[in-house]
Amino acid sequence: MSEQFKQEIEAEVGANKILVYGKGTKDAPRCGFTLETIQFFNNFGYPFEVVDVLENMPKREALSQMTDWPTLPKVFIDGTFYGDTDVLGPMAEKGELQTILKNAFGSEAPKTTINLH
Amino acid sequence: MIATDAIVALIRETMPDADVTVFDRTGTMDHFNIGVTSSAFAGKTLIQQHQMVYRALKAAHSDGRIHAIELTTTVAE
Repeated sequence: MSEQFKQEIEAEVGANKILVYGKGTKDAPRCGFTLETIQFFNNFGYPFEVVDVLENMPKREALSQMTDWPTLPKVFIDGTFYGDTDVLGPMAEKGELQTILKNAFGSEAPKTTINLH
Repeated sequence: MIATDAIVALIRETMPDADVTVFDRTGTMDHFNIGVTSSAFAGKTLIQQHQMVYRALKAAHSDGRIHAIELTTTVAE
Protein backbone atom coordinates (compact mmCIF):
# COMPACT_ATOMS: atom_id res chain seq x y z
CA MET A 1 0.00 0.00 0.00
CA SER A 2 1.29 3.45 -0.82
CA GLU A 3 2.33 5.19 2.38
CA GLN A 4 1.39 8.51 0.80
CA PHE A 5 -2.26 7.51 0.35
CA LYS A 6 -2.42 6.02 3.81
CA GLN A 7 -1.20 9.28 5.35
CA GLU A 8 -3.61 11.31 3.18
CA ILE A 9 -6.54 9.12 4.30
CA GLU A 10 -5.54 9.29 7.96
CA ALA A 11 -5.34 13.09 7.74
CA GLU A 12 -8.79 13.32 6.10
CA VAL A 13 -10.34 10.92 8.61
CA GLY A 14 -8.78 12.90 11.46
CA ALA A 15 -10.04 16.22 10.14
CA ASN A 16 -13.71 15.25 9.78
CA LYS A 17 -16.07 13.88 12.42
CA ILE A 18 -18.12 12.23 9.69
CA LEU A 19 -16.31 11.38 6.48
CA VAL A 20 -17.76 9.55 3.49
CA TYR A 21 -15.55 8.20 0.73
CA GLY A 22 -17.82 7.85 -2.25
CA LYS A 23 -18.36 8.17 -5.95
CA GLY A 24 -19.03 11.80 -6.86
CA THR A 25 -19.45 14.83 -4.62
CA LYS A 26 -22.07 15.90 -2.09
CA ASP A 27 -23.77 18.08 -4.69
CA ALA A 28 -23.31 15.65 -7.55
CA PRO A 29 -23.18 12.05 -6.37
CA ARG A 30 -22.42 9.63 -9.17
CA CYS A 31 -23.61 6.42 -7.57
CA GLY A 32 -26.94 5.43 -6.02
CA PHE A 33 -25.32 4.16 -2.83
CA THR A 34 -23.31 7.37 -2.37
CA LEU A 35 -26.52 9.38 -2.81
CA GLU A 36 -28.28 7.13 -0.28
CA THR A 37 -25.48 7.72 2.23
CA ILE A 38 -25.60 11.50 1.74
CA GLN A 39 -29.38 11.48 2.31
CA PHE A 40 -28.87 9.27 5.35
CA PHE A 41 -26.55 11.81 7.00
CA ASN A 42 -28.59 14.81 5.84
CA ASN A 43 -31.39 13.38 7.98
CA PHE A 44 -29.17 13.45 11.07
CA GLY A 45 -28.26 17.09 10.68
CA TYR A 46 -24.59 16.85 11.69
CA PRO A 47 -21.97 18.29 9.35
CA PHE A 48 -20.22 15.72 7.17
CA GLU A 49 -17.79 15.65 4.28
CA VAL A 50 -17.78 13.57 1.12
CA VAL A 51 -14.49 12.78 -0.62
CA ASP A 52 -14.82 11.72 -4.25
CA VAL A 53 -12.51 8.81 -5.02
CA LEU A 54 -14.32 7.52 -8.12
CA GLU A 55 -11.40 8.20 -10.47
CA ASN A 56 -8.63 7.60 -7.93
CA MET A 57 -8.01 3.86 -8.14
CA PRO A 58 -4.76 3.80 -6.08
CA LYS A 59 -6.47 5.62 -3.22
CA ARG A 60 -9.49 3.32 -3.45
CA GLU A 61 -7.13 0.34 -3.24
CA ALA A 62 -5.41 1.84 -0.17
CA LEU A 63 -8.81 2.46 1.45
CA SER A 64 -9.96 -1.11 0.80
CA GLN A 65 -6.79 -2.52 2.34
CA MET A 66 -7.06 -0.28 5.41
CA THR A 67 -10.70 -1.17 6.07
CA ASP A 68 -11.08 -4.76 4.83
CA TRP A 69 -14.03 -3.40 2.91
CA PRO A 70 -14.09 -3.67 -0.90
CA THR A 71 -16.90 -1.30 -1.87
CA LEU A 72 -17.77 2.40 -1.84
CA PRO A 73 -19.13 4.30 -0.04
CA LYS A 74 -17.04 3.92 3.10
CA VAL A 75 -18.01 5.87 6.21
CA PHE A 76 -15.74 6.98 9.06
CA ILE A 77 -17.13 8.52 12.24
CA ASP A 78 -14.75 10.06 14.75
CA GLY A 79 -11.85 8.14 13.23
CA THR A 80 -13.58 4.74 13.31
CA PHE A 81 -14.66 2.84 10.20
CA TYR A 82 -18.37 1.93 10.10
CA GLY A 83 -18.81 0.47 6.60
CA ASP A 84 -21.89 1.71 4.74
CA THR A 85 -25.61 2.17 5.30
CA ASP A 86 -26.10 -1.63 5.48
CA VAL A 87 -24.31 -1.34 8.84
CA LEU A 88 -25.32 2.22 9.82
CA GLY A 89 -29.04 1.68 9.08
CA PRO A 90 -29.49 -1.14 11.61
CA MET A 91 -27.28 0.77 14.10
CA ALA A 92 -29.57 3.80 13.74
CA GLU A 93 -32.66 1.64 14.28
CA LYS A 94 -31.20 0.41 17.57
CA GLY A 95 -30.20 3.94 18.61
CA GLU A 96 -26.49 3.03 18.68
CA LEU A 97 -25.54 5.43 15.92
CA GLN A 98 -27.24 8.36 17.65
CA THR A 99 -25.08 7.74 20.72
CA ILE A 100 -21.89 7.50 18.63
CA LEU A 101 -22.71 10.77 16.84
CA LYS A 102 -23.64 12.52 20.05
CA ASN A 103 -20.32 11.49 21.62
CA ALA A 104 -18.38 12.46 18.47
CA PHE A 105 -19.86 15.94 18.31
CA GLY A 106 -20.38 16.43 22.03
CA SER A 107 -23.96 17.56 21.49
CA GLU A 108 -27.31 16.71 19.95
CA ALA A 109 -27.68 17.23 16.22
CA PRO A 110 -28.14 20.90 15.29
CA LYS A 111 -31.44 20.09 13.57
CA THR A 112 -33.01 18.76 16.73
CA THR A 113 -31.74 21.47 19.09
CA ILE A 114 -32.11 24.67 17.04
CA ASN A 115 -34.59 26.99 18.68
CA LEU A 116 -36.32 29.05 16.02
CA HIS A 117 -37.94 31.48 18.44
CA MET B 1 -20.56 -11.71 -13.22
CA ILE B 2 -20.75 -14.62 -10.85
CA ALA B 3 -23.26 -17.42 -10.28
CA THR B 4 -25.27 -17.24 -7.06
CA ASP B 5 -24.10 -20.80 -6.25
CA ALA B 6 -20.48 -19.62 -6.45
CA ILE B 7 -21.19 -16.82 -3.94
CA VAL B 8 -22.72 -19.31 -1.51
CA ALA B 9 -19.70 -21.61 -1.95
CA LEU B 10 -17.19 -18.79 -1.28
CA ILE B 11 -18.96 -17.76 1.93
CA ARG B 12 -19.22 -21.37 3.16
CA GLU B 13 -15.48 -21.83 2.61
CA THR B 14 -14.85 -19.56 5.60
CA MET B 15 -18.17 -20.09 7.42
CA PRO B 16 -19.19 -23.71 6.81
CA ASP B 17 -22.45 -23.46 8.77
CA ALA B 18 -23.61 -20.33 6.94
CA ASP B 19 -27.17 -20.12 5.73
CA VAL B 20 -26.85 -17.91 2.65
CA THR B 21 -29.51 -16.30 0.49
CA VAL B 22 -28.49 -14.51 -2.71
CA PHE B 23 -30.73 -12.38 -4.88
CA ASP B 24 -29.60 -10.98 -8.23
CA ARG B 25 -30.95 -7.43 -8.00
CA THR B 26 -30.40 -6.29 -11.55
CA GLY B 27 -30.50 -9.51 -13.58
CA THR B 28 -26.89 -8.85 -14.59
CA MET B 29 -25.34 -11.20 -12.00
CA ASP B 30 -23.05 -8.54 -10.49
CA HIS B 31 -25.35 -6.59 -8.10
CA PHE B 32 -26.65 -8.76 -5.29
CA ASN B 33 -28.68 -8.77 -2.13
CA ILE B 34 -26.96 -11.23 0.17
CA GLY B 35 -28.19 -12.50 3.52
CA VAL B 36 -25.90 -14.59 5.73
CA THR B 37 -26.82 -16.36 8.96
CA SER B 38 -23.97 -18.03 10.84
CA SER B 39 -22.85 -18.93 14.34
CA ALA B 40 -19.45 -17.47 13.38
CA PHE B 41 -20.97 -13.98 13.87
CA ALA B 42 -21.55 -14.56 17.58
CA GLY B 43 -19.85 -11.89 19.69
CA LYS B 44 -18.91 -9.80 16.64
CA THR B 45 -20.07 -6.27 15.94
CA LEU B 46 -22.14 -5.65 12.83
CA ILE B 47 -19.17 -4.08 11.07
CA GLN B 48 -17.01 -7.11 11.91
CA GLN B 49 -19.74 -9.46 10.63
CA HIS B 50 -19.87 -7.58 7.33
CA GLN B 51 -16.07 -7.58 7.07
CA MET B 52 -16.08 -11.38 7.51
CA VAL B 53 -18.41 -11.76 4.52
CA TYR B 54 -16.44 -9.26 2.43
CA ARG B 55 -13.21 -11.11 3.21
CA ALA B 56 -14.82 -14.35 2.00
CA LEU B 57 -15.82 -12.62 -1.24
CA LYS B 58 -12.60 -10.64 -1.67
CA ALA B 59 -11.38 -12.37 -4.82
CA ALA B 60 -14.72 -11.94 -6.58
CA HIS B 61 -14.69 -8.23 -5.71
CA SER B 62 -11.08 -7.68 -6.76
CA ASP B 63 -11.47 -9.23 -10.21
CA GLY B 64 -14.74 -7.38 -10.86
CA ARG B 65 -17.13 -10.33 -10.85
CA ILE B 66 -19.11 -8.57 -8.11
CA HIS B 67 -19.84 -4.84 -8.42
CA ALA B 68 -22.15 -4.19 -5.48
CA ILE B 69 -23.70 -5.98 -2.55
CA GLU B 70 -26.46 -5.11 -0.15
CA LEU B 71 -25.62 -7.24 2.84
CA THR B 72 -27.60 -8.46 5.83
CA THR B 73 -25.94 -10.56 8.52
CA THR B 74 -27.64 -12.47 11.33
CA VAL B 75 -26.15 -14.46 14.21
CA ALA B 76 -27.39 -18.05 14.13
CA GLU B 77 -29.37 -19.03 17.24
